[in-house]
Amino acid sequence: MIHILLMGCILGAASGIGNLFIELGFPETNVVIIYLLAVLLISRFTSGYVYGILASLIATILFNYLFTSPYYTLTVDNPSYLLTFIIMTTAAIITSTLTSRIQLNTLKAQEKENETKTLYNLTSRLTDTLEIKEVASIAIQSISQVLNTNVGCLYFNENGNPSDFFLQQKSPTQQTTEYITDENNIKEKVQGTRRGFYIDANYYYWIIYGQENVLGLIRISTEVAEQITDAQKRTLLSMIENTALAMDRIYLSKQRARSNEETTQERQKGDLLRGISHDLRTPLSGIIATAEMLLSMTDDKDVRYLMIKDIQEDTVWLHSLVENVLSLTRLQNGKLSLDKKSEALEEIIDESIRFVTKRFHGYTISVEMPQEMVLVPVDSKLILQVFINLLENAIKHSVKEREIRIIVEKDLKQNKIQVTIADKGEGIIEAELPNIFEPFYTSRAKHVDSKNRVGLGLTICETAILAHGGTITAQNRKDVSGAEFIFTLPLKG
Amino acid sequence: MGQLHEKILIVEDDIQIRKFLSYILENESFEYKTASSGKEAMNSLISESIDMVILDLGLPDIDGLEIIKKVREWSEVPIIVVSARDQDQEKAQALDVGADDYLTKPFSATELLARIRVGFRHYYRMSSTKTQSEIEVGHLKINFDKRIVCLKEEPIHITPMEYNLLALFFKNIGKVLTTKFILKEIWGTAYGEDTQALRTMMAGLRRKIEANPAQPQYIITEIGVGYRMIEQ
Repeated sequence: MIHILLMGCILGAASGIGNLFIELGFPETNVVIIYLLAVLLISRFTSGYVYGILASLIATILFNYLFTSPYYTLTVDNPSYLLTFIIMTTAAIITSTLTSRIQLNTLKAQEKENETKTLYNLTSRLTDTLEIKEVASIAIQSISQVLNTNVGCLYFNENGNPSDFFLQQKSPTQQTTEYITDENNIKEKVQGTRRGFYIDANYYYWIIYGQENVLGLIRISTEVAEQITDAQKRTLLSMIENTALAMDRIYLSKQRARSNEETTQERQKGDLLRGISHDLRTPLSGIIATAEMLLSMTDDKDVRYLMIKDIQEDTVWLHSLVENVLSLTRLQNGKLSLDKKSEALEEIIDESIRFVTKRFHGYTISVEMPQEMVLVPVDSKLILQVFINLLENAIKHSVKEREIRIIVEKDLKQNKIQVTIADKGEGIIEAELPNIFEPFYTSRAKHVDSKNRVGLGLTICETAILAHGGTITAQNRKDVSGAEFIFTLPLKG
Repeated sequence: MGQLHEKILIVEDDIQIRKFLSYILENESFEYKTASSGKEAMNSLISESIDMVILDLGLPDIDGLEIIKKVREWSEVPIIVVSARDQDQEKAQALDVGADDYLTKPFSATELLARIRVGFRHYYRMSSTKTQSEIEVGHLKINFDKRIVCLKEEPIHITPMEYNLLALFFKNIGKVLTTKFILKEIWGTAYGEDTQALRTMMAGLRRKIEANPAQPQYIITEIGVGYRMIEQ
């Protein structure tokens, strides 16, 4: 309305000035210029294209009516005026649209600037935050300010579960905590949402999406949300995005701090374990030696003979456990650099069999392998340990007469070798298969004695094989009773 | 088998192991002397006549390698080193600077005595001027004069390089030979440490003399150290 009044005034003034010009004897071209100026001014001070174009047409009609003979009619004597009218109208329309466009752009720029400023303020305030709650508080304050309403925020904790309250802006300076009861439904609703927000009776809920999961919700009352302009919506979305970034950052830094702490603890644990193992090794060798000495001094019918034998066997087991702990801490230290060299597999198998049969007499271990030499890029010490542990494991769950088989197969297609170590023991209880490689997981099949403790042996196998980029599995034999461990190693490292 | 005039020096800082070693040697009627530190050991070696040294590599005062190097400056006395399982590097180094054999803790009396026996036998063989022209290990026989190797009395076809390698093992029966030592003896120094070539040659040789290369009867592998021809 105010624009129409403004248009009327300007056009009226232009007509007055035009009249003055005619009376002063100026040619009527000046009047055309005055009208063009008027249209320009109207376009400048009104918004949109409509008024400018309307003013252009009215100006032409006014010029025709007031300043061309016959005066005060819409007809003309001189047909050349028609050309003037057309040019005048065109010029006026072009001028007005150009002006309007500039103005529109200015407006848009202003909006952009406001948006940027708001976002900048938000971001800079969010940068220093250390807690999620702080982020939520700043976010709702800023959003409330921009939308000129009071919004609320609910955030999800690190485990991805929603908190049971909304942090709600009450006034520009006041925030309260509003508890909710349906926090369990929130997750479902969020999961069912595809548009970035969902609606209930009172609120629109905008979802704050983090890099990996949902971080929270921003709720805006329905009346406000429905009236939101596109520009405001854009700003709102940007603000939510910034909030998400800040929340992500906080969770990430917390996670990093926690994992750092865990690594340090892990390392300390490893160092401690390694230190203890080192110190245990020498006295254990001593005990083993002393027990052997005592054995040689004792008649094997003496009851003490068996007691000493038990001491010796347990100590040998403890000693190998200590060695295993040392290997494992070396492996789990993370900084383990595998000392990989091209090794002949037959040599490793040879040494492992000799090592094992030195401790356990009377077992038959057979080896089947390709006729040509198999060279594998491995850390020979570790793979030797793998063979020793798997053979010892097979021996522990087998009886002397039953053969233990080592089968080596080359899989050229997949560029790897596969090693199977199969025994004819009682096999593995199916339920225990998934846990068999876990540290200190001991079979429940038999009562625990020095022969059946598993301890770390299989864990080391798994860790070592995985470190080489291979795989290891345990299963029961299909042909006869017994277990088989199958591992693969890449042929090119 | 103890010969009373042979005196063995035990260098070991752990009292239990030292007692154990002493007990075994005493049982076998060897004469022995103990030292709990490198300094003590050096004193004994300088002032007394010692026929063999059993040396722990992890001594508190002097590095075991240093002791071996020093001793080798004036003496060829057999040295058997004793080490923990994760000391491969040091084991190989010890052998390369002049130790004769090694034992990994924990070891049994049988193992120790076997090593001592090999050590003495080798020592006497090296010092005697008489060289055997034929040696037999199990079913494997070598004739140095004719440069032939027979398996179950049947001559086997081997390349000159393989013969040299096998001859080297026959001259050092029971003794561990480091990869470095073998490379130097067979290829000369120029080849440096091309362990790959040696490994391939070993694999080839094993396929000619062993029934099952993964469970060899004659030449066994000492992972990370070298090879050893077993006494039958």
